[in-house]
Amino acid sequence: MTNLRFWLRWSWRDLRERWLQVAAIALIIALGTGTYAGLGSSMPWREQSYDTSYAQLNMYDMRVLFTNGSYVNGEELIAAVESIEHAGWIEAAEPRLIAPTLVDVSDGEDVLVPGRIMGVTISEDRSAVNGIHINAGRSLTAEDSGQPRAILEYNFAAYYDLPPQGTILISGGQALDYVGQGMTPEYFMVISDEIGFKEESDFAVVMLPLETAQTLTDHPEQVNDLVLTLADEADWETVRAEVEAAIAAHFRGTGVSFMHTEDDPAYTMLYGDLEGDDQIFKLIAYLFLAGAAFGTFNLSSRIVEAQRRQIGVGMALGLPRRLLAFRPLLVGAQIALLGVVFGVLIGVLISNLFGGMMRDLMPMPVFETPFQWGIFAQAAVLGIGLPLAATFYPVWRAVRVQPIDAIKTGHLIAKGGGLTSLLARVPLPGKSFTQMPLRNLLRAPRRTLLTLLGVAMAITTQIAMIGMLDTFNEVIDQGEQEFMQDSPDRMIVALNNFYPVNAEPVLAVEQAGPVAEAVPAIQLGGELLRGNDSVEISLELLDLDNPLWTPNLLEGRLESDGPGIIIAEKAADDLGVGVGDTITLKHPRREGMFAYHMVESEIEVIAIHANPLRYLSYMSRDQAGLMGLENMVNVLYLNPADGSTATDVKRVLFAQPGIASVREVGMFIRIFRDMMSLLVGFMSVVVIAVLALAFLIAFNSTSINVDERAREIATLFAFGVPVRTVTRMTMVENLITGILGTLIGIGLGLLSLQWMLDSRIETMLPDLSLSVVLSPLALALAILLGVVVVTLTPLLNLRKLTRMNLPSTLRVVE
Amino acid sequence: MIHLENISKRYQVGDVSVSALDNVSLTVEKGEFVVVLGPSGSGKTTMLNVIGALDVPTEGQVYINGDRLPLVSKQTDRFKFRRETVSFIFQSFNLFPSLTALENVQLVLDMADAPDAREKAIEVLNDVGLGERINHFPHELSGGEQQRVAIARALATGNPVLLADEPTGELDFRTGVQILDLLRRQAEAGKTVLVVTHNREISRVADRVVELSSGHIISDGAPRGGKVSIAELSW
Repeated sequence: MTNLRFWLRWSWRDLRERWLQVAAIALIIALGTGTYAGLGSSMPWREQSYDTSYAQLNMYDMRVLFTNGSYVNGEELIAAVESIEHAGWIEAAEPRLIAPTLVDVSDGEDVLVPGRIMGVTISEDRSAVNGIHINAGRSLTAEDSGQPRAILEYNFAAYYDLPPQGTILISGGQALDYVGQGMTPEYFMVISDEIGFKEESDFAVVMLPLETAQTLTDHPEQVNDLVLTLADEADWETVRAEVEAAIAAHFRGTGVSFMHTEDDPAYTMLYGDLEGDDQIFKLIAYLFLAGAAFGTFNLSSRIVEAQRRQIGVGMALGLPRRLLAFRPLLVGAQIALLGVVFGVLIGVLISNLFGGMMRDLMPMPVFETPFQWGIFAQAAVLGIGLPLAATFYPVWRAVRVQPIDAIKTGHLIAKGGGLTSLLARVPLPGKSFTQMPLRNLLRAPRRTLLTLLGVAMAITTQIAMIGMLDTFNEVIDQGEQEFMQDSPDRMIVALNNFYPVNAEPVLAVEQAGPVAEAVPAIQLGGELLRGNDSVEISLELLDLDNPLWTPNLLEGRLESDGPGIIIAEKAADDLGVGVGDTITLKHPRREGMFAYHMVESEIEVIAIHANPLRYLSYMSRDQAGLMGLENMVNVLYLNPADGSTATDVKRVLFAQPGIASVREVGMFIRIFRDMMSLLVGFMSVVVIAVLALAFLIAFNSTSINVDERAREIATLFAFGVPVRTVTRMTMVENLITGILGTLIGIGLGLLSLQWMLDSRIETMLPDLSLSVVLSPLALALAILLGVVVVTLTPLLNLRKLTRMNLPSTLRVVE
Repeated sequence: MIHLENISKRYQVGDVSVSALDNVSLTVEKGEFVVVLGPSGSGKTTMLNVIGALDVPTEGQVYINGDRLPLVSKQTDRFKFRRETVSFIFQSFNLFPSLTALENVQLVLDMADAPDAREKAIEVLNDVGLGERINHFPHELSGGEQQRVAIARALATGNPVLLADEPTGELDFRTGVQILDLLRRQAEAGKTVLVVTHNREISRVADRVVELSSGHIISDGAPRGGKVSIAELSW
C-alpha cells in the first residue's frame, strides 16, 4: 500500500473501461441516497416548523369546551378559574365565543361555505394564548373591539386566492370587513367536526373581537370556550379537576369537557402525520438503496470476475490477498463515492422540491428548510457503506481461489455444482437458440437473481406508491357511491342549535322556495365502547324510511324493535361486534335548555352500512328520546327544487337565522379528492425517480451482460448470426428477467403497501376502511417499466454490437 | 475457390500505422488442406479473418468461388457469407457454455432452419467421435473433446470452407493429432481447409504450406521435406 497513487491510477483505468456502467451505478446509488436525504430532510423541517409555530403562537395547554348550547358570562368564568387552589399554575386564560356560521366571499364565483366565528380577546398581550399570525393585511387592535372587523383564516383565503383585505358576509347577512388574513394554532390544518381533515376549501374560520362575536350571536358578555396555558410545573390533571369543580360550582348544570394540546385535531394530525410519513419515506428510500445495493453488487461481482486472471497473476507473483483485494474495493469505494456526490445533488433537488411543495400545501407561520447535515451524512454513510459492503463478497470470493484456478481458462464457466448444475439440466422446449436466453439465465442463477431483484425493487416502489393512490381512490369512489346514491344533488343544512321540528328555522328550511323536500335529522358526536376498545363516531338520527337518503346496508336491517344502531364495517371489525350484538354507546343527553351530559346506553347493532368511513353511524330518529331530543332537530337533508341550484338554496337559507351551514353532499368527496391531489403531487416525484431507477438497473445489467458474453456474441457473429438475432436473444433474456422481476416486484409492492396502510391506518386515518387495491393502470405501468423497458433496453447496445471488433473479441481469453 | 488479390491490412495504433498484411495475393483451390505458418505477429490470423469476412482489408479484394466478397458496404452480406460459406474453428473453442455439446452443434443448424437439426447434430458428433458425450456441457469435456465439438459445429453448417485458427494450440500432442486428422479428412471429403498455426510440425501434413513473415508471404508450396502422414508427426 506504499503507493496509493499507483492503485488509484489503476482503479481509474478500471472505472474508465466501464465508465457507462459505472455512471449508471453511480446514478442508481445517487437516486437511493438522494431519495433518502431528500425525503428524510422533510421530517425535521416539518417537526421544527411545527414546534416553532406552536410555541410562537402559544398553543393552549388546556381547552375547556362548554356543551353545545351552553353559554356563561365571560368575566365570571375568568373569576371562577382564578379562584382555584392552583391558580398560580395558570399562566394565561382566555375566554372565547365560538359559533357556527356561513361565510359568503362570493366575488365573481360563488363561494358560500360553512365556517366558524371565533370571538377572541383583543389586548396588548393578545398572543398570550393561541395567538394569530398575520399572513397578510393587519392584526386586530383594541379599536376594532365591537366593530364588524375580523381576521380571515389564511388557509381558506389562500385556497380561494382572496385579497389581503375585503368584505365578507356571515349568517344573517351580516357584513364583516376582514382587515387581514391569519393563522391560529387550532387551524394550522383546517379541520371541522364534520369531515376531519384539510377542509380549507369548504370551511372558513373568522377571528373577530370577542365583543363583536357576542353582538353578532346575540350572546352579550357570554362565552362558551376557554383556553389556558399552564406553567411548566403545573399538573394538568389537578388543574382540570379544579377548573371543572369551579365551573360546576359557579355555573350549575353546565356541562364541560377538556382537551389537551394533543387532543387538538390539527395538532394530532400534523404531528401524527410525521411519524407515518417518516415510515413511508424511509421505506421508499430503503427500497431505492436496496436497488442500488443489488446493482452495485452485480457490477462489482462482474468487475472482479473480469479481473480474475489478473488476480491469479497477482497471486502467482506473491502479492498478499489484502493487496489483491484493494484494487476492486477501491473501484467499489469510488463508485459509491461518485454515487454519493450525485446523491447529494439529487437530495438537494428532491428536498427543494418537497420543501417548496410543503410550504405551499402545508403553510405554517414558520416554515424553514435548513440543510439537514445529519440526514445527508446518514445518506452518505448508507450510500457509501451499502455498495461497498456489496463489493466485499465478490472480492472475498475472488481472492480465496487457488492461483492456478484463477489463471485457468474457463474458470468462469458454470461448474457442475449445486443449483447451477441442477438448473442447467432442466429440459427446455424449442430450438437450441430459442433455449439460449433461458439457459444463460439458468447457468448463473446468482447473477440472474440479483438482476431481477434490482428490477423488482424498482417495481416494488412503484406498486407501493401507485397502489396507495389506487387504494385511496377506491375508498373515495366507495364513499361517493354511498353518499350520492340516487340523490346526488342532496344538501345538508346544519342548524346552529337543536330546535323543535316545528321551530322557525326548521320551517324556514322546509318551506324555502328553492327546496323541493327536506328531511329532519339529528347529528351528534359519540363513542362506541366494547371492552377496552372504543371508536369515536358521528351519530345521525334520521327517519329510516325517508325518501331522500338512507344508508345502504351490507347486512342487517333498518327496522328495530328497541334501540338499534347501524355502524360501519370497520367500526364493527375494530370493536369485534356483529349484527345482533349489543354495544355501549356513549352519547350526550340533553338535561335542561342548554345543558348536556354524556351518558352510556346499551344498544343493539342492527346493521352494517356500506360507507368505508368508520365514524359514520346511524339510528332511527324514533330513538331520539335516548338523547333527550324527542322531536328535536339540528340537521336537515334536502333536495333543491327543479330549476334551483345549490347556490340558490344557500343564498336563501343564508339569510335565515339559525342556519349554521349549508353544504352539498358532493363537497365531502371534493375534500377527499383535494387531499388525494397532495398525494399525487408527492407520488409523481417518486414515480419519476422509480422510472429512472428501473431503467438504469435494466440498462446496466444488459450492458454488463453484453460485455460478459462478448466472446459468445462474437462467436455467433462469426457463424453468421445477424445482429438482430443476437439482440432478439438478449431481449428475450431481458424479457424473462423483466417478467420475473416484475412479478416479484408486484408481490413485494403489495406487501409494502399493506404494511404502509396498516401503519398509517392506526396513526393517521383510523376512520378509513382501507384494503389494498391495485388498478389496471398501476399494473400496466409496472409491466411497462419492468417488462417493456427492461426488454427494450438491449436496443441501446445495438451500436456496441455492430461496432464489435470480432477478431480481437474472439481471441480474448474471457 | 479462395482468391486474395493484393490484400493489405493496416492497423492504427495511436499515431503509428502497423501493417499486418502487405500486398498479399493467394489462391486456394477446393479440397485443399492448407496450413498458414508463421510466427506471432506475422499476419496469419489477420489473413484468416479477412478470408472469413471477420475483418476488412485496407486494400485489395477477396474472391470466393469467383464472387467478390462484400467488404465494407453491407454488413448483412458479410453475415450471410459467414453463415453460408465459411465455418470457424478457434484456438479456445468458443463453445457456448450454457449449451450441451449437442445443443452447441444443433444451434447452427437451427439458425439455418435445417430440418431434423437434432438428428444431424448427433450424426456429426458421432462422426467426430463424441457420440457418447453429446449431453455434456463444455466444462464437463476435455480440451480435445471441446475442440471436436467446435469442429462438429463447423462441419454441421455444411459450409465449403473451414477456417481453423491454432486449433491445436491448447491441446496436448495426442489430442492435437486427432484434431488434425479430423480436419484433414474434411479436406479429403472435398472441403477447403485453412489451418493457421505457428507449429511447423503441423505443416508437414498439409497439401500446401503458406509461410508468412511480417505481413508478407515468404514461401508457398508443399511442406519442406514432403508431406507426411499424421502418424509421423511429433512435437
